[in-house]
Parts: sequence; structure tokens; C-alpha cells
Amino acid sequence: MKKLIGLLIIIVFFSCKKNVLNVEPQDRIAESAVWGDESLIKAYHNELYNGIPHGFYIHMYSKYTDEAYNSAPCCGADIFKLNTFNQDNIGGAGGGDFWGGYIYYWNQGYTYIRKIDVFLEQMGASGSLEFSDKKRLIAEAKFVRAFIYFNLIERYGGVPIVTKSYGLSDAASVTFKRNTFDECVAFIQKDIDEALPDLPAKYASTDPNYGRATKDASYALLSRLYLYAASPLFNPTHDNAKWQKAAAAAAVFTENADRGYTLYPNYRNLFNQNSGASQNEFILTRNFTSSNFQQAPAHNLGRRYGAYGGWWASNGPTQNIVDDYDMINGEPAFTWSGNTKTINPASGYDPNHPYWNRDPRFEASILHDSTVFHGDLLEMWVSSTSQQFGYDSWKQSSDNPRSSYWIRKFMPEVQPISFAEHYTIPWPHFRLAEIYLNYAEAKFELGDEAKCREYINKVRARVGMPPIAATVTGQALRDRLYNERRIELSFENHRFFDIRRWKIANVIENRPIYGMDIFLNQTTGVKTYTPVLLLQKNPYQDKMNLLPIATDEIKKNKGTLEQTPGW
Amino acid sequence: MRRNILFRKNIQGRLSISPRFFFLSIFSLFYFLGMAQQRITGKVATGESPIVGATVLVKGTTTATQTDAGGNFAINAPANATLVISYVGHETKEVKLSNRTSISIDLQPINQQLGEVVVVGYGTQKKSTLTGSVSTVSGNDVAKSPSPNVSNSLAGRLPGLIVNQRTGTPGRDNPDILIRGGGTVPPVGSDFGTYLTYNAPLVVIDGVQGRGDLSRLNPQDIESFSVLKDGSAAIYGAAGANGVILVTTKSGSRGKADFSFSYNYAIDNPTKVPDVMDAATFAEVYNEGVFYRAGRNPANYTPQYTDAQIQKYRDGSDPILNPNTDWVGLTLHHSYVKNLNLQVNGGSDRVRYLLSFGSLQQNGNFYGNTMLYKQYNARVKVDIELVRNLTVGANVNAIFKNGDYPGGGNGGNINFYNILGANPTIVGKYPNGLLGPGRLGQSSLLNDQRGYVRNNSTPIYSTFTASYAVPFIKGLKFDASFNYDFGSDFNKDWQIPYYYYEYNTGTQQYDKKQGTGLANAQLSDNYFRWNSLLTNVRATYDRTFLNNHHVMAMLGWEQSQYNNTSASATRRNFLSPAIDQLNQGSQAAADQGVGGSAFSSSTNNYFGRLNYDFKSKYLFEFLFRYDGYWNFPSGDRYGFFPGASIGWRLSEEDFMKNALPFVNQLKIRATYGETGNNRFSSDKNFAFLQSYFIGQNYVFGSNDAPGIYSSLLSNPTFTWEKAKKMDFGLESLLWNGKLGVDFTYWLQKRRDILATRNLSIPSTFGFPNLPPENFGEVNSHGFELILSTKGYIIKDLTYKVSGNIAYNNSKVIFLDEVPPARDYQKVTGKPVYTGLYYKADGIFHNQAELDKYPHDANTQIGDIRIVDLDGNGKINADDRYRVPYTSVPKYVFGLNSDFQFKNFDLNIFFQGQAGVRNYDDRAAALGETDFTNATVWRATDRWSPTNPNGSKPRSSAYQPGNTTFFLFDGSFVRLKTVELGYNIPASILQKTKTLKGLRVYVSGFNLATWAKEIKFADPEFNGGYFNYPPSRIINFGASIKF
Repeated sequence: MKKLIGLLIIIVFFSCKKNVLNVEPQDRIAESAVWGDESLIKAYHNELYNGIPHGFYIHMYSKYTDEAYNSAPCCGADIFKLNTFNQDNIGGAGGGDFWGGYIYYWNQGYTYIRKIDVFLEQMGASGSLEFSDKKRLIAEAKFVRAFIYFNLIERYGGVPIVTKSYGLSDAASVTFKRNTFDECVAFIQKDIDEALPDLPAKYASTDPNYGRATKDASYALLSRLYLYAASPLFNPTHDNAKWQKAAAAAAVFTENADRGYTLYPNYRNLFNQNSGASQNEFILTRNFTSSNFQQAPAHNLGRRYGAYGGWWASNGPTQNIVDDYDMINGEPAFTWSGNTKTINPASGYDPNHPYWNRDPRFEASILHDSTVFHGDLLEMWVSSTSQQFGYDSWKQSSDNPRSSYWIRKFMPEVQPISFAEHYTIPWPHFRLAEIYLNYAEAKFELGDEAKCREYINKVRARVGMPPIAATVTGQALRDRLYNERRIELSFENHRFFDIRRWKIANVIENRPIYGMDIFLNQTTGVKTYTPVLLLQKNPYQDKMNLLPIATDEIKKNKGTLEQTPGW
Repeated sequence: MRRNILFRKNIQGRLSISPRFFFLSIFSLFYFLGMAQQRITGKVATGESPIVGATVLVKGTTTATQTDAGGNFAINAPANATLVISYVGHETKEVKLSNRTSISIDLQPINQQLGEVVVVGYGTQKKSTLTGSVSTVSGNDVAKSPSPNVSNSLAGRLPGLIVNQRTGTPGRDNPDILIRGGGTVPPVGSDFGTYLTYNAPLVVIDGVQGRGDLSRLNPQDIESFSVLKDGSAAIYGAAGANGVILVTTKSGSRGKADFSFSYNYAIDNPTKVPDVMDAATFAEVYNEGVFYRAGRNPANYTPQYTDAQIQKYRDGSDPILNPNTDWVGLTLHHSYVKNLNLQVNGGSDRVRYLLSFGSLQQNGNFYGNTMLYKQYNARVKVDIELVRNLTVGANVNAIFKNGDYPGGGNGGNINFYNILGANPTIVGKYPNGLLGPGRLGQSSLLNDQRGYVRNNSTPIYSTFTASYAVPFIKGLKFDASFNYDFGSDFNKDWQIPYYYYEYNTGTQQYDKKQGTGLANAQLSDNYFRWNSLLTNVRATYDRTFLNNHHVMAMLGWEQSQYNNTSASATRRNFLSPAIDQLNQGSQAAADQGVGGSAFSSSTNNYFGRLNYDFKSKYLFEFLFRYDGYWNFPSGDRYGFFPGASIGWRLSEEDFMKNALPFVNQLKIRATYGETGNNRFSSDKNFAFLQSYFIGQNYVFGSNDAPGIYSSLLSNPTFTWEKAKKMDFGLESLLWNGKLGVDFTYWLQKRRDILATRNLSIPSTFGFPNLPPENFGEVNSHGFELILSTKGYIIKDLTYKVSGNIAYNNSKVIFLDEVPPARDYQKVTGKPVYTGLYYKADGIFHNQAELDKYPHDANTQIGDIRIVDLDGNGKINADDRYRVPYTSVPKYVFGLNSDFQFKNFDLNIFFQGQAGVRNYDDRAAALGETDFTNATVWRATDRWSPTNPNGSKPRSSAYQPGNTTFFLFDGSFVRLKTVELGYNIPASILQKTKTLKGLRVYVSGFNLATWAKEIKFADPEFNGGYFNYPPSRIINFGASIKF
């Protein structure tokens, strides 16, 4: 009896602990440990790069404009497809992947700005840990911050410049106001100026550090920054001084032997090599590995590969962009007069064979009916009786884009296409051809049309396209310049911003989105090509050149943060 | 061995079984025969009417028998033995034989409702003198429902308990459970699951708080459910604010072994499968959408489906290229639930035991799907009076759960998008029997080719108790319990490539194609191991002084620790899908992935209760808990939670007895209690500590560069929510139960609610997720009413009817809300977790109407007309208003009725809800570009150029946001359970000599539903209808006792 009670007491005694409530975390690291450990500091720093949006989210920006037709009726993407975005719904496009691909970048941008501010403060604090490449890490962080600010201002115009990491207790006293666009430009310049001395000039694309900030990446960012700053949207008075700055920023490359970069000879292969491959055109990329990978091919191609190009990611290139590829003789296939386009007779465009004799970049960037891809003959046709259809036609499956085109840029030529594959083709943030076109544009606006043609032609020469004739001048040259940028930089997230900064979005976005119906007469074997209207967007409003800030965010700022003009 | 000898020595002469016997086989217990000496015969009756099945036990032995149909018994017993006679609902009598060989015993019924004992926190109390708000239901009542999930059977049974079954997937059909609605709010923007987590009641099973698998208990094992709703939950301190569900399992009863065996076979169908459009209607609707998207300009309009095609869909003349696929008919069929139970129950007056085994098998409602849920429950419960005053017990419950679900990367869930949303113009099965791709190559018919998801879980819950009544201090008792629960979950996700056929119009052949998803097999194994230790010690002092002053005091201490560890491994690119084991996967580093983590938590607390009553007339109770919890900053880990209540039984007063003699019970009571809530979601673990996770890596060159990130800003002053609860109640029982009334009105104030200041902190600060801070305030109130009656209609036809209704409503008092643009959008003043909606007012039928009313720039004819609430002539976000309802009902009710006619018994149970809204985004969609099918309900009478007076919006309709057009009133009444049983008469059973009872019955679950607005789908869904509907079950069963 007594022993039983004794046993019981022993059980109770052994099963209890005095400080039972002191539980140490086993799945996370306390902050106090982070800033005293070089490896953890570096890991914190590595993660800062995630703040820069790349283009391989499920939703690529091509479908937000006239590059691709989007049929996904949900989430983030369709408010841009339909031009129904506004301050009340735009917050829904603020996520990665399916949720808009960070087109509404406000929250993501400022989250990473704070992370960088924390990093810079910790590194600058007295008594902070010293290690050999600390200066470079600080410089890289400043570059990333500059790039994030650029991503903000290209969307919203001037935004609040935040350079201090606030705590929760500051919430009551701190308010934010927009800085002007020019102040933001100056701030980005300042961050770059501070970063430059501690950055290496460049890393080879095969270098293990490739993808980190460099001097060249900084200069490329400045080139794009000053081009945007000089553009009509931000420079309505056409202040030549701004164009001169833009030209000078690009000239850092063009007048200095391109700082050692060269256009990659094969345009198609430039975009389908894996991370780490040798090339000398990309100035900064977002690389991928088989464990940190992208799935753009599985998202963008068709049913044949189990991909979701017609539905989930729904990124079928439009007839609009197909028509904008020049003919191989250098002439545009169509000419525009107002909102009507007519076939350019000089081009030799044959509506019965629309894919013949086009700019080689067409074949490199877009898959169409009768292309051979991965050994498969793509068949997007439908029989004239509708009773038969090619395996890749929109009739076969809603996974096949309704436009009858698939994106080819960034799609691997060798690696199998499947959701099971992990793709490592890098996303180019900056590349030499863009700098050339930046330079051409700045020079054009400054009246140096020869220089403009020279640099457009360099870009065209790489793919074997004839030069722009010297007879093309003035507005005609500007149209060709704009189109060159559309073609060369297609699907690289430029178009959405370019038409806005050029202030031509009110024209472009009001044009209907077309696809192609390819009817096959099975008795004669003849295919006829009929463009089909897929979408008449809602009317574009000029205020849409800059994105609105979500209503909630305006309210949370208690009236100090101004909404984007017009919204 | 030494211990065994001691054991034997100590118990010699007291315990009639030898330890060896005990250890050899516990099953042998009931074969024990006492020392037979002489034959005693007798009769047990209440007055004139004999009691059938009363237990007669020879005290101190296991010798027992039961009375027959005439109330007679015969038993062998020593001449000086004492017989213990007991019968359910009656007093238990001990009769000394004193050499008599024939006796007759009169057993008086105890008034059940008054004599009933109610399980409360750390103890039991008599219902008659109870002062807290506690709802109870017996396990036997719940077991009448044939639902394989016990929790789903609780709906409507316990007033104040809100049970919503949102899905019917076998093994994954646990309902949402709330007590008295949502009293707290999760951080802004939280999903519904988080809302439920924050409001989740505490579940206490056999005294152990936080024990899992409430839904997976064997209903046959359960003695009772109690729900603590008011301040009496303060004894559970920081975990009690959302109320407490106490489950007590059955114990063995004295007497000879009773075997009972039951078998049930049930047929299971979905309650309601939405009717979706056929191919022809779908095509017409889609074409309308195309027309609108082309700007309603006939010149630009190229229909997706030609008239000729639509005709073929309609007449079925071309099942290959223009089929009319009935996805629902092709995929769904009825399934079965098989249920077997075996229970043995018995004991002597010193040892009582219960052994129980249950097996459950349930398959899914689908063709082409590997869905099978199996569950085995085994329980051993033994109580032994080791020596005088010392009782020890063990209660071990092992549950084996295995669910096999379809593979394909959807977590094992059937993707109803591929059934209800599948385009009916796509082939499901070709006329020659080959399977087509279905929607996006993911036809549900292909699921059985795609591998499987296997959830295997084997928890063991064990409780060891000791109770010692101190002999030298009358009324003092010590109880200790030591509980060790542990288990492991093993989940396997095996995905293999699959194939379907597509008709090639060129070659006129069926091409075999590999489906979407993986090109080679992939396996993920996930191990999760956990254990939980809880120890408690209680001292209870229960004594009546001077005949009238009854005092009961209890003090206790409790400590618990929980640990888990998980490990996961994945391999991709298996050479062959032949073997589903990790070592068969690719050896390449890139094809392998591993992960793992660990977590611990702990509590330490002290609690106590003091009850005092004078003549069972004036009742007083005080209780407290001093509660310590790991997830608060060091130094601030303890909180004090007191509760008190008073009651007055007017029916015990002489003046009442004289004036109103028909009043058996009349009690008024009031309680007040302060409890805490620490039931926030796991992402708030260590919220007081700024911390970083490893992850979110980046890539430089061709290598991953590791990253660390913080997902939450820390809050160094993090503490628990506090709830102040007040209840006022009145209980009465009249005319011996002809009328029972139980009414409770309650109020609750929640303070220090963990809320995030998302509302007032701009994103421009760039904070990671904001920490929860203790500043939210919510008030709630409600009532519960139970009315019951019993009696007989004609001789032999008796009835018992009990109806209950509960109401709850909450009001946000403070949430740091930035004043919204309009007052009607305020969160403050509205119930918790409400949403903003545009108010729909029909649709725009024509241009004149469109011109006349303000509308959004994108609104066209045929779209929903939205009320310009602020009257500024513009429709924008300011016109949304906060609808004061959620998908958690404000009213829940139940009506239970039992009828007995001779050997027939019938139970009918209705349950329902009201004051509830559900926004169904699926019901809103029609004719969108993504080819998703929609309901017939949505398509019927839609606006179109040819139906300009339609009542529903056009195909591909535009809404600026969620409108009330698709916000449905989710009120319904269900015929939840019906059971009709027949007991084979005792006169027949007697002839068999062995059978003590044989019962056959049919029962049904969710038999019929009357929904107010949601008639196209099951009205209990939360969100869209693309979900596994709850089951309607028709069950056949038999149970035998021998």
C-alpha cells in the first residue's frame, strides 16, 4: 500500500519539470544570433535579391498588354487584361505567381526596402561584425534598393523614399508622402553612386557570382532609369537635358566599346540556354537552379506538353504582335493609319502565307502552326467543316491558346517540356541590345537620327535583318524605333511600361486583341488564315499610364500619401 | 516478480482474482466463478411491474446474473452473501441474504433529470445542484446517428454548440465546431480556417485537455458529452474562453460479462450534387460570353460553337467530337460505410472492465478513384480497487486510421473543378470505352491511374489513474492521473504518370497521350511523430456538516508537455513506377529533397474549486486556475482566472412545495468567470521573440545561395486574450418531467484580443507580417433554450421530445479600425468576421435602365444593378456595405423525439440553422473564358438579348466586386437522423438461453434538407460549391447482446 503510494509519488515527481515553460525554438533562429554570425548575415543578404521581380511568375506581363491574349478570368491578371483595374481591386494583383506577378509591387517593394534598410543599419552600427567582403555586400544592397525603387517609379511615378527601418512604435508618429519623380531618380542615382566603388565591374556568365550586382548592372539600371525619366510620360515638355542624360547613361556602354559586352550571335539560343551558360550579352540576370527553378515552359506551352498556355497561365501571343514583325526584306508587313492597318505592298506580305519571309526573330520568339518544335509538327488548324482539327488547335483543348500562337522565347529546345521538369533558363534584367535601343531612342529624341539608325541597325544586323534606310526619318523613324523595341524585347516585360512612358497606350490598348483562325480545306490541303477578334478591352484611360495605389493603403496613410493622379 | 508476490500478499482475501490470472489474459476475467454455495431465486420489480435486465451481483465476486422478462433471477451465492441489484435509471440496492434463498426486491426509479450526474471540469456534479451553463448529451443518443464521424452527429444535440459539416470526404469530414459562435476575431485578412482556429473550443477527453481525434472516437465507447459554455470554463484558464467540450468514455459495470456485437451497413450518397449545364446549354452560354467580349458587335463576333455543333450536342449524334458529357453521372456513384463493433463489459465489485473494438470502412462516391478510409478503434478500460480506499485504473485507446485517396498532386482531395466545372463538350469516355482527357487532361476518371495519397495515423491515448480516499479524514480523497499519448502520422504521396486517349481527327485513331503532371513517378514520404505527457494531482474534500452544510473543495496541479518531430523526403524521376519506395527514385541530387522540423510546448498550472450548498437549496461555487503557458515572454507566463456562481433552488423551499407541488425543480442561477484564450494559429508561436527562418534562397551562378527571412515582427508584450463571461439561467421541471424548461442568457466581453494593426499601418513601412497585439475588443451575447416533454399517447406508446434553440451574436467594440469611407462599412459595431458586399438590386434589363441608374464604367446591360448607397451618383468601393452575417449561423436548433411502442422504438431528430450567409463565387460564374461549367440554376433565366427580362445576370457578367446577388441565406432545416429499431421480445430470447438482447434497426443521416435559398447545392458549404458534399446515409444494422 505504502509502496504503491510511493511509486505514484515517484511517477509524479519524475514527470514534472521545474522550468517546464522555458521552451527553446527548434525551427527558427532568434534575431540576436543573426547579426553576430557571418554566415547568417550573408544568408540575410542573399535573400534581399528576392525583392527584385523577375518575369517567370505564372503570369508574365505580356498578357497585360498587346503581346499576349489572356483567358484566365481570375485573380490579378484579368483586371489588366480587361483594363478594369482600379484602386479598389489592384491590391489583388500584388502577389507573385498567379496573383499578378507583382505588377502591383507596392507591398513587395517596400517590404524589401525595409529589409535592406535593416541590413544597412546593422552593418553600419558601431561594433558590428567585420568580415572581408562587407563593403561589397553593402554596395550590393544599395544596388538592390536602387533597382526596387526603379520598379516602383516605373509603376507609380514618384513614391515615398524610405531609408530608415521603422519599428512598430513608430507607426503612430510616422507618415509617408510621395517624393517627386525627380527626387526618386536622384535617390536612385545616389544609391548607385555609393555602391559603384565597392562593386566589381562584371562577372562572367559562368562565374559562381554571376547574378550579383556589378558596376555594369548599375550602369545598365541608370541607362533605363534616365531613358524613362526623359520619356514623354515623365518629361512632358521634352526637356532635352533629360534626353542628354539618357544618352550619356547609355553611352557608358556604347562609347566605351560596350564595356566588353557583345550581342550574342544567335538570337534564339540567347534565350534558351540554362543558367551558367556562356554568353556575353546579359548584363544582369535572375538565375535559376534545379532546386530554385522556374516553370515558364509548363505554364506557357500547349496541351501537347501538358502545359497550360491556354488556360491557367494563358499567355498566347496575339495576332497583334505577329503582325508587327517586319518582313525579311526589312519592310513592315503592315502600315497603320490611325487605327486601321493595311498590308504594306512593298513588304511582300502574303496573307495566305502569313508566316513566310518574316524577321527571323518571329520564328525565334513565337511558335505557330506548322512550326517544328521538339520534333513535333505543331498543328493549330481547324478543318473548314470544324469536324477535324490539329492536335494543337484551340478546338482540341482549352490548354491550347485561343490565339493559335505559343511563346517560344525562353522555351528550351532540348530539355523535355513537362511540369515535372525544373527549368533554369535565366531571366534577363538587362542586356546589351536594350542599351543599344535606349541609346538609339535618346539619340533620336536629341535629333541625331543617324546614330539612332546606327544602333537600331546593330540590333537588326544580329538577326540578319536589313538596316533601316536613311530615308526613314522623323515620326516614321520613331515608329520603327518603337517597333524595334517591341520586337527585340518581346515578352521581356518591357512592352507594358514602354507604351505607357511613350504615352501611346491610349492607342495601343484600345485596339482589339486578335488571334488567328487557321482553316484547313482537307480536300485541297489549302489553309486559309483569318484573324479573329478575341477581346475588345474596356476603354483605356490616360490615368492608367501610372498604376493607382490601393485605396486601403491611401487610407492607412491618413491622408498624407497622394493617390496617383487621375485615380 | 517480487512485486507480484507483494501484490498477492496485499490483496489476499480481498481481490478474488489472482494476479497471474489477470496478467495471463484479461479476457479470462468473466470466466471466473465464485465459490458456489446455494441457489438463490428472486424477483426485481418497481411496484407491480417487473424489471427486465436488472443486474444482480454477489458482492465481492464477479458472480452476477440478469433478470428475465418476468423480472426473475436465480444465482448461486454463499448464505451470508450480500446481493447488489442495479438497473439503469434506478437506485442501486444492497441486500444481505442472511440465509434467505428467495427474496423480492423493489427498485425505485430515480428521477433521471434530477439524479443525473454531469461531468464538469476536473470532476462531476449533480445536475440538480449545478450552477454553471453546461449542455450534455449521452453517448447512446449520439450513437444513434449512422454518421461515421462522431462530431457530425453532435449538430443540434447540444444547445450552444455550432457544428457545420462543410465537406464529406471520408476520413476528412471533420466539421467546424464553435461554442456560442465566434467570440474573437483573427487578424484582419485571415482565412476562414484561421477564424475557426482562434475560436476553437477546447476538447477534453477523459480529463486530458487538447486530446485529438474527437471525431474519430468510437461512438459506442462514449458515455457522455458535456459542453462548458460559461464562466465555469475558468477552471481551464487560458484555454477555456471558447468553451470546453468534455468527453467521457464508458467504464465497465459490475456483473457478469456482457457481450455486445453490432454490425451496420450503410449506403452513402451526397446530400446534394449541383445540377450543371449540359453541353448544348453550355455552348450557348459560352457563345453569349464571346459575343459580349467582342464588344457586342456582330461584325467582330465569331462564335466558339456553331449552331450545327450545338445541335449535335443536343441530339447526341456525334459522341466523339461533339459529345454531351454528364460528368456528374459519369463520376459519382453511391458508396458504403461498414461498421462493426464488439464490446465486453463486466466486473466484480472490485474490478470493472470494458473492452471494445470497432472497425469502420468507408469508400468514396466515385468511379475511377482510389478512395478508401479504414479505421479501427480498440479500447481497454479497467478499474481495480487494489486495497481498501485505493483504486487504480487504466484506460487505453488505440486508433488506427488509414485513408487512401487519389493521387495527382491535389493532396488526395477530389478536385470537383474537374467534375462540376468540367466542360460538358469534352469527352469523358469515348463510345469504345477509352477514357478521354477531361478538363485540362485531369478527368476525375483518370485519378486511379495517378498514384495515391495515403494518410496513415496511429495515435494511442492512455490514461492511468489512482484514487485514494484517506481513511482517517472523512471526505478527503486524492486523485492522480498520468496520461501519455503518442502517435505517428505517415503520409505518402505517390504520383505516377498517367495516360488518356484523344481522338485524332486526322488519322481517325485514338492517340494515347501522357497526362499533365509528372513524366516520371515521384514519391514524398512524410513522417510526423508526437507525444504528449500530462500529469495531474487533485485533492478533494467532500463532506456534509450538521446535516445541511455541504462543502466540496478541490485543489489540483497539472503539468503538460508536448513534442513533435517531423521528417520528409522526396525523390523524383523514378526509373519505373513499379515500386513505390524512396530507394527506387533517382539518385541525382536535384531529384531528392528532404525536410524536417520539431516543436515543443508546455503548460503548468494550479486550479481549484469550492462548492458550498445549504440543504441543496442555496448554491455557491468558486473556482480558479493559475495558468502558465510557454508561448509568452519569460516573466509574463502566468495568469489568474477566477470564476464564481450562485444558485437558488426555489423548488426546495417549503412555500414552493406547498403552493406549487407539481414543480419538481425550479432553479435560478448566475455565473461569472474570467477565462483566457491562447488558441491562436501556429504562425504566432514565439511571437514574443524576433526570429528568422531558413529559406527563400536565391541563385548566384549555378548554385543556390541560402537565405533567411523573418515572417513576423515580434511583440515583446504578447499575452493572452481575456474573456469575461456572465450567465443567467433558469431551470425547471414540472409534473415529473411532462415539461422541462431550461433557459440561459449569456454575455461575454472579450478583451486583449490578439489583433494586428493591419488596418492602420501602411504597407509603406515594409514590415513583415505584423505581430498580434492585445488590443481588440469584442462583445457577444445570446441565449439557449431547451424545452422538453415526455409522456404517453396511448398505453404502451410513450414519447420523449426535446427541442433546443441557441442564438449568438457578436459585436466588434474596438479593432483599431481606420474610419472607412462610409459608416456602413465599419467593422466596429458589426459581428466578427463579416465582409463587404455591393448591394445588388436586380439587373439592368435594357439601355434605358442602364442610363437611368448610376453604374460602374464596365457595367453593361445584363449586369447586376448595384445600389448607390452613398448616393453620389457613382458606383465604386464606397458603395460596399458590411453585411452583418457570416457563414457561422446565429441561430442553431435541434428537435429530438423518441417514441417507444412495445418493442419498437423510433428516434427522429431535426437540426437546422438560421441567420447565416454564404457567398458562393462558383455560383456567380457563368460563360467565362476558361470554359468552366456552371449550374443550371445560374443559367436559367439569365439575361440575354433574346431574354431581355431575365432575372439573373448575363453570361460573362461583370461585378465590380462581390455582390449580394450571390450572397445566399444559408438557413436550412435537416432531417438529420431517424432510427427505427425493434427489440426481439425477451420471451423469445429466453428460449435461446444465451441471448440477452437482439435488436435490428434502420437509420438514416441527412435524410432530407429544406434550404431557404441554397437549393442548387448543399446549404452548409462555406464558399463555393466545388466541394465534396456531405453524405446522406441509409443504414441497416443489428446488435446482439449475450
